[in-house]
Amino acid sequence: MSGPGVAWYLSVAAFLFGTGSLGVLLRRNPLIVLLSLEIMLNGANLALIGFARNFGDGSGQIFALAVMAVAASEVVVGLGLIVALNRKRVTLDVDRLNTLRG
Amino acid sequence: MIYGAWICLLSPLAAAGLITLGGQRLTRRAAGYLATLSCFVAFGGALATFIGLLGRDGSQRQVVSTAWLWLTAGSYRSGLEVLIDPLSVFMMLVVAGVGALIVAYSIGYMDGDIEERRYFAYMSLFVFSMLLLVQGGNLLLLLAGWGMVGLSSYLLIGFWHDRPSAIAAAKKAFVMNAIGDATMALAFFLLIKKGNSLEFGILGGQYSSTVANLVALGLLGGAVAKSAQLPLQTWLPDAMEGPTPVSALIHAATMVTAGVYLLVRTHAIFEQAPKIADLAAGLGAATLLLAGLIALVQVDIKRVIAYSTMSQIGYMFLGAGLGAFFKALLFMAAGIVIHALAAEQDMRKMGGLRMLMPRTYWAFLIGALALVGIPPFAGFFSKDSILAAAMDHGAYGYVLWVVGLAGTFLTGLYTFRMFFLVFWGEPSAFVREHFHALRRDVVGVSMASTVGVLAVLSVIGGWLQFAPIWHPVETWLQTVAEPVVSPTNWQEAISSALAFVLGLAGITVAWLVYGARRVAVPRFASAQRTLERKFSSTSCTTPSSTRPRSS
Amino acid sequence: MIVASVGNVLVWAVWVVAAFACLGSGIAVVSFSNPFYSALALIGNLGALAVLYLLLSAEFVAAAQVLVYAGAVMVMFLFVIAYIGPHSESPWMGGPSWQAVGAVLAAGALLVEIIVVIGLKASGHLAHSERVGAAFGSPAEIGRLFLTDHLLAFEITSIVLLVAAIGGVILGGHSRRAAGEVPPL
Repeated sequence: MSGPGVAWYLSVAAFLFGTGSLGVLLRRNPLIVLLSLEIMLNGANLALIGFARNFGDGSGQIFALAVMAVAASEVVVGLGLIVALNRKRVTLDVDRLNTLRG
Repeated sequence: MIYGAWICLLSPLAAAGLITLGGQRLTRRAAGYLATLSCFVAFGGALATFIGLLGRDGSQRQVVSTAWLWLTAGSYRSGLEVLIDPLSVFMMLVVAGVGALIVAYSIGYMDGDIEERRYFAYMSLFVFSMLLLVQGGNLLLLLAGWGMVGLSSYLLIGFWHDRPSAIAAAKKAFVMNAIGDATMALAFFLLIKKGNSLEFGILGGQYSSTVANLVALGLLGGAVAKSAQLPLQTWLPDAMEGPTPVSALIHAATMVTAGVYLLVRTHAIFEQAPKIADLAAGLGAATLLLAGLIALVQVDIKRVIAYSTMSQIGYMFLGAGLGAFFKALLFMAAGIVIHALAAEQDMRKMGGLRMLMPRTYWAFLIGALALVGIPPFAGFFSKDSILAAAMDHGAYGYVLWVVGLAGTFLTGLYTFRMFFLVFWGEPSAFVREHFHALRRDVVGVSMASTVGVLAVLSVIGGWLQFAPIWHPVETWLQTVAEPVVSPTNWQEAISSALAFVLGLAGITVAWLVYGARRVAVPRFASAQRTLERKFSSTSCTTPSSTRPRSS
Repeated sequence: MIVASVGNVLVWAVWVVAAFACLGSGIAVVSFSNPFYSALALIGNLGALAVLYLLLSAEFVAAAQVLVYAGAVMVMFLFVIAYIGPHSESPWMGGPSWQAVGAVLAAGALLVEIIVVIGLKASGHLAHSERVGAAFGSPAEIGRLFLTDHLLAFEITSIVLLVAAIGGVILGGHSRRAAGEVPPL
């Protein structure tokens, strides 16, 4: 394939993953944590698509689409949680939200 | 037979699903009945599998039934498979049987609780997870069951989620179990790299001693976390925040024995890593002593049971570490029944109950005697044979043997301290106010009958194996786990005699101090304070991940 | 590896622009204090990623990315952010705590490890890429795969979406019970 080899795409994917993980670990607003999580998932998607191209196997793209669907589902639930928390006037700070009532 | 095994595995899961989906359409009592029925069906399946396996001779007794090929990645293959062999059937019978009894007990105990359906869904999920753990045909499924057991335990400990103490206890249990999960996962990574598969058979392959030691260490980490041994033991006493049947099922009986099961199932790799096996035995010995000492100063019955469980599992680790696998397993079966029995006696602030609750009195007495290892009750035959195995193990073994005997004395002491404090003397004011006789309806019957069954099992269970006369359990499990040590009859006799004498001595001391009140309760203030703080320095062992980040 | 030709230069140029847009917007998402700006940066990130997918012959996935991810999921994010309103968080004040340092080191270590693996160990395996036909990555091909080889994944994913939708409705719905009453299940 012309242009950059798959290794370059994988480096971008790795960087995205690392950046996302930093956001998840360092930020306190749960919205930003969710956004960083999305970046991590996109990094993984990029790696999948890159490998799909490299090995000529369409399964990687299928997997990436499934990841997209699941990420959408997870965002729905996460945002629902945040909205519910906001309605109860709870501070939106993941450091404070550590009680985890089952 | 294969259908039996699959039914055993899937029936509690079906119950959990049905209760969840049924929601408010099921009455609370119906949810309880459904859960109990599913556990009895599971026991039936286990029994069918057992009978099927009996029909085959020794070499034929390992059957793997694959549902489908689940995971393929490169040259690694993993299937959704169930292993039917003597060890797994043994565990299936115990888990399903005791689980069914305890879920039946819960119908009575949890009666009237608003969230009863959720409780029974969680209990069914737990029984399913535990069965997956013991029936899983490869290490991957074992890990799946392992994780789900940790999850169910978190959900059940924190069941009364209005109580901050319960939530904190649930979190602590989950995080500590996660540490064990992490070490196990690392061990599995190493196994995949070196052996290219996670079937049980590859544990017997030839590995360099570094690899064998690392894998065994990782597995030991998981077992230690799950079974609440040193140094990951602080979650178990706090786990008593959950409802009593949860404590009985999970933390006295089945979940904490998962670690012992793991050690036996993976014994092949421990045989290649003798230092780690010695470490396992040493940790078991240290835990049994420590837990016994702490149990002496606890005032809450459930805490005494928790520390007693911890101590008895220390015996099992001792046995497994020394190679006396079926003895450890036998003791485990006995221990499961005994502790389930003991944990179901949920009473606080009592005294003088002998007159008021005679049947409970006798049941508790039987359980206590069985625990201490007095013949002819269940604990006697198994615990002492573990000690005999220690004698066979060289100089280090003798140290462990002494520790084990000291533990027997302590067991007698703390068990009967609890017994005398609860049942003898004059009824306290609290008791006279709050006591009510056991009801005659379903609630009362469910609780009384299950306790009765467990008491009977405590009595007769020990006779499953009476060395040196008959060894049905040993021959049954021989194909799975060849014992590495075989003590002579003399060693067995000496261990048994000494353990019996020491147990009696413990009971006598407890009687002198607490029963007949002839001797004043000794007050070693500073020692007592240290023990009361449980050597715990919980701040030390609580991982910082359970504490909030400073903002 | 770098073959000089007009077509190739164009591909490289597009790649460089898209990759740096991707990385820059990723850093932006993590750094902004205002979540609204972070969400907008994420939309930019998704667009750049779609370009990269096009370079990798994954046309359908690129289209799905723009339509579903940027078009639906991010709009949902923006709605919720607008609904919740401004929440001041000053994430970068007060200097790095020890956890921040630890997190950066861990992420950095992970990144270095991946780059080393890609560069040194796997370069043999990754050097040669398969030739792919014109149908690779087309909707027809994706559809064929979904309905034959990966049917189970397809069905399970749809169930997951259904469950998430139900969950979203339940979480967002107004409680009709009195406050303080415990829900029955």
